[in-house]
Amino acid sequence: MRMHWPSLRGAFRVWQRDATIFKKFWKPALMPNFIEPFFYLAALGLGLGAFVREIDGQDYLQFIGPALLASNAMFAASFESTYNTFVKLRFGKVYDAIVATPVNAEDIVVGEYLWAGTRALLYGTAFTLVLAVLGLVHSWWALLLPPFLFLVGVMFSVMGTLFTSLIKSIDFYAYYFTLVVTPLFLFSGIFFPVDGFPTPVPEIAWMTPLYHAVNVTRALATGPSPEILVDVAWIVIFTAALAMLPVRLMRRRLIS
Amino acid sequence: MTPVSLKARGLRKAYGEFEAVKGIDFEVYRGECFGFLGPNGAGKTTTMKMIYGVVIPGGGELSVVGRDVRRDIREIKRRIGVVPQENNLDEELTVRENLLVYGRYFDLPRKLIRRRVEELLEFVQLSEKSGERVEHLSGGMKRRLLIARALVNAPELVVLDEPTTGLDPQARHLVWEKLRQLRNGGTTLILTTHYMDEAAQLCDRLVIMDNGNIIREGAPQRLIEENTSPEVLEFRPRPDRLEDLQRLLETEAEHVERSADLLLAYTHDSDALMQAVRRSGIEIENTLYRRASLEDVFLRLTGRRLIE
Repeated sequence: MRMHWPSLRGAFRVWQRDATIFKKFWKPALMPNFIEPFFYLAALGLGLGAFVREIDGQDYLQFIGPALLASNAMFAASFESTYNTFVKLRFGKVYDAIVATPVNAEDIVVGEYLWAGTRALLYGTAFTLVLAVLGLVHSWWALLLPPFLFLVGVMFSVMGTLFTSLIKSIDFYAYYFTLVVTPLFLFSGIFFPVDGFPTPVPEIAWMTPLYHAVNVTRALATGPSPEILVDVAWIVIFTAALAMLPVRLMRRRLIS
Repeated sequence: MTPVSLKARGLRKAYGEFEAVKGIDFEVYRGECFGFLGPNGAGKTTTMKMIYGVVIPGGGELSVVGRDVRRDIREIKRRIGVVPQENNLDEELTVRENLLVYGRYFDLPRKLIRRRVEELLEFVQLSEKSGERVEHLSGGMKRRLLIARALVNAPELVVLDEPTTGLDPQARHLVWEKLRQLRNGGTTLILTTHYMDEAAQLCDRLVIMDNGNIIREGAPQRLIEENTSPEVLEFRPRPDRLEDLQRLLETEAEHVERSADLLLAYTHDSDALMQAVRRSGIEIENTLYRRASLEDVFLRLTGRRLIE
């Protein structure tokens, strides 16, 4: 079966469809994703932070605040590419309607990547403003945070869509969140630095995606060093290497 | 010679061991209404899906609006409309938004979409519902909206998979009326149905499908004339006299079919047949006279009823 190369125009139309619906529901939809980081900031930054000495010369709130931007983007894109995508695929039959138009199955998947990235960008921008108000942003490089969070969103959308393309029932997402998303959240250097641990802990962390995203958001908020280019490159290469696999698998679920 | 809008040669599709479509040939001419009639599982829907590119043919040739489905599917989809069997309207959008968003998939200019959407809402009589969420519509309204959606790109050919299944008679007649208007406006229609009356009402030509094969092809009236007698008498005798009556009818009528406790006798002269039955003295609980329909053709050709 021949796959078609995704068309950006078709992908844009799918993105536009999602944006149309988002415009109607953005306030209730935005709230949970927006509020959640506050709980972490309050509970861990202020609560736990009262018992923690400085980490890398930063107080604890400063240490975790910008890092939570990365995990926030991960959560936004992961929910979008798992539950939301599955509902559109199986229950709403939204994709069945779209593949009968000049928009092909391949375009749909790419459009959803872009939309997940956009959601990560929207949440991330709002959250960045809050961090700025709290005095946790110290560098003009922070202006690069929204486009970077878009990239992080696309990366986690590719991973989430890959899982979605493989499962038959919505119940399987519990595995994805428990075995993939949650460990990434806890062990990617958001709450404690992993670099100081003995081998192989830092090496394992280096192999995982959120670790690099955390390095970059933390650096952009406080003034980056050129080392983060390695992290950005890691994310770009990982995303590009994986991106076409879900496209192929999702096509098989829509076209027989 | 009328130009051909769609052409299939040896078209086939198998899913593993199961052959859904077993090598069928047909042509659809521009501007006609062409029907696929057959029971569930006959291969109609698979054939429709091959036309709009959701199922890739396993073998044979299929060209739609002059283009090969394997090579130019995007261009084909740009020029045709699709009314699927299963409602897949965007439930999160209103009636009007469904059409606006769908129009964008065709890369139409925004202004053109807006104008066409209002015209189409008018056409399917949903203007007053345009701001409602789709989930609040009745079944008939949803189907009309699906038809309007399929027309948003002003297609030259529209594929309709069971456009009236599950609708009440009134909603059904309204859909038929819209489809006739479309056809009169020059749009080519391809539809599947398992309703004989629908096929007879709408189609200029049709094929009868069964088990993945086309078993007959022609104009509805012609199919009736060629494959069955013009008149039908349906008898429901007392159960203990069923065998006797069947034996009698088999000598008197041109052809007899039995469907549960019902005997169908096909004839050119129903009066003579009726008299013969009366003379026999067999008690009949119920008799119905009617003209032969496509249902009878299907029954004659396959020995089974369309909807079992």
